[in-house]
Amino acid sequence: MTAIELRGVTKEFADVTAVRGLDLTVEEGEVYGFLGPNGAGKSTTIDMVLDLVRPTEGTVRVLGQDATADGVAIRRRTGVLPDGFAVYDRLSGRKHVEFAVRSKEADDDPDALLDRVGILDDADRKAGGYSKGMRQRLALAMALAGDPDLLILDEPSSGLDPAGAKEMREIVRAEADRGATVFFSSHILEQVEAVCDRVGILREGELVAEDSVEGLREAVGGEETLEIAIAGGDADGASDAAVDAVRDLDGVSRVDRDGDALVVSCADGAKTRVIGALEDAGVAVADFHTREASLEDLFLAYTEGDAPGEGAGEEPEEVSR
Amino acid sequence: MTLAAIAEKDFQDAVRSRGMLALVALFSLLVAVFAYVVRPTGQGEQFATEALLSFAVGPFLVTTLVPLVGVVVGYNAVSGERESGSLKLLLSLPHSRADVVFGKVIGRGAALALAVLTGFLLPALVLFGLAQTGALATFNVGAFLGYTVFAAVLGVVFVAIAVGCSAAAETQRRALIGGVAIFVLFVVLWGFVTGQLLDAASGLIDPLPVSQQQVRVFLRVSNPISGVELLSSAFLGEQLFTGESVNRQISAVSMLVFWTIAPPLVGLWKFDSDDL
Repeated sequence: MTAIELRGVTKEFADVTAVRGLDLTVEEGEVYGFLGPNGAGKSTTIDMVLDLVRPTEGTVRVLGQDATADGVAIRRRTGVLPDGFAVYDRLSGRKHVEFAVRSKEADDDPDALLDRVGILDDADRKAGGYSKGMRQRLALAMALAGDPDLLILDEPSSGLDPAGAKEMREIVRAEADRGATVFFSSHILEQVEAVCDRVGILREGELVAEDSVEGLREAVGGEETLEIAIAGGDADGASDAAVDAVRDLDGVSRVDRDGDALVVSCADGAKTRVIGALEDAGVAVADFHTREASLEDLFLAYTEGDAPGEGAGEEPEEVSR
Repeated sequence: MTLAAIAEKDFQDAVRSRGMLALVALFSLLVAVFAYVVRPTGQGEQFATEALLSFAVGPFLVTTLVPLVGVVVGYNAVSGERESGSLKLLLSLPHSRADVVFGKVIGRGAALALAVLTGFLLPALVLFGLAQTGALATFNVGAFLGYTVFAAVLGVVFVAIAVGCSAAAETQRRALIGGVAIFVLFVVLWGFVTGQLLDAASGLIDPLPVSQQQVRVFLRVSNPISGVELLSSAFLGEQLFTGESVNRQISAVSMLVFWTIAPPLVGLWKFDSDDL
């Protein structure tokens, strides 16, 4: 059974195509991170799942039902933390949660939900006076009402401090352990790494990658980048022969000169051989350090056209699996 | 049934607004002023509750201010939430868009009715007290209460029309323009507009088994304001649903029901197909 299933979904607005030909499947029980830069179409996709926006083409099914025809039935089993929402300024936090519980015909204790998201002490204050982070927590409490089978969180960490973001992740984990499917969007990769079983990256309305975080890392090479400073302050000091010798080594994919350094992309464990080969060729190594392809590099590689992040060492053809 | 949940939330939200308090105060103040103006001056003259209602409260308060307040209460019901983003929170919960529109009509209609009832009844309590102490010869409680209910009904009808307009509007600005148009049409231009329509359509009416005059009367009571005027004066004259105007009264009642249901339905039809 799939929790969310988009087939060939396209959404055209008057002036822009926000999503094109999107196929997306989120399995029941998984935690799925939906990534992409701002403007990639994440919110439009989520809005189609929630039936706030209707697709121009294609079908959207949620929890086995049609998003438009069965929207109310779907949302009875779904908890949503929307993006760019507003609260009812004159109603207290508790009133908000009571309203959510009643709307879902659930029997949760509003105070328990407020306590879980950490705003029980402010429950009687009018929500209009809440900070951005507290509003975010309030909407999460409303989303958690009724133990939903599916949680949809759109940019859940926005407005939260690091401690709040950590609490948010712990709640996501707990909900997943309870058996809920969690689908959440973010433009920050680090936030999804800790909690997601699978990640999809959206770029200009199309899914450009979908895998586990480890899988994505491997896809961009699973290599490290070795920066080797040459004694004498000039990479030209390394003869072409020396560079060729390094390039011919097993596990080395590319060697570039960069100012006073050589930049070598190589497999884990090839490092010692690289240094050895250079010294054998008479090149004095002053210093070296390694760099793992960071998640940021990885993300940028997928979201910023063909040019791989500088120095990260990914090849474009490896990127587009 | 989540309609009730939305209506209750919207009611609670509305009665917590400062405007609500201001409205009650305004109604009370105006009713009190009118009561003072029509107070008995001569010896032995009775305090005429009916005169207070039909010549002062009626034309000034009920037929202009109540529709205005109804429009003000209703015009931002849906469009305001759409613009602020609280509609996203609302539609994240298992509500249909129909629940939203009709929940708003009920919630805001109830809030306005409460404002009218409270605003009218506070001065009525004073008048009633004066009558008990003998300072006033008579005060017709039944007539006053009944009339207040008609005023509240008129307010609710205008809330419904304005909420329908609000649901159809994509922006607050359009909703505001629509609200102003509703007020101008029903309060100022109704006779003129329907007269023009009637003239233009006379060729269509002639073959029908109704006279121009009958259509003209029907169009007049189609305006919820005239409808409520007709019904309330029949009520004060103790001729409600009896007497010679009974047919017009029935037309008026059916048109009040029509205006309460049709505009929200049309608004919903547009709202339901919109991307939010």
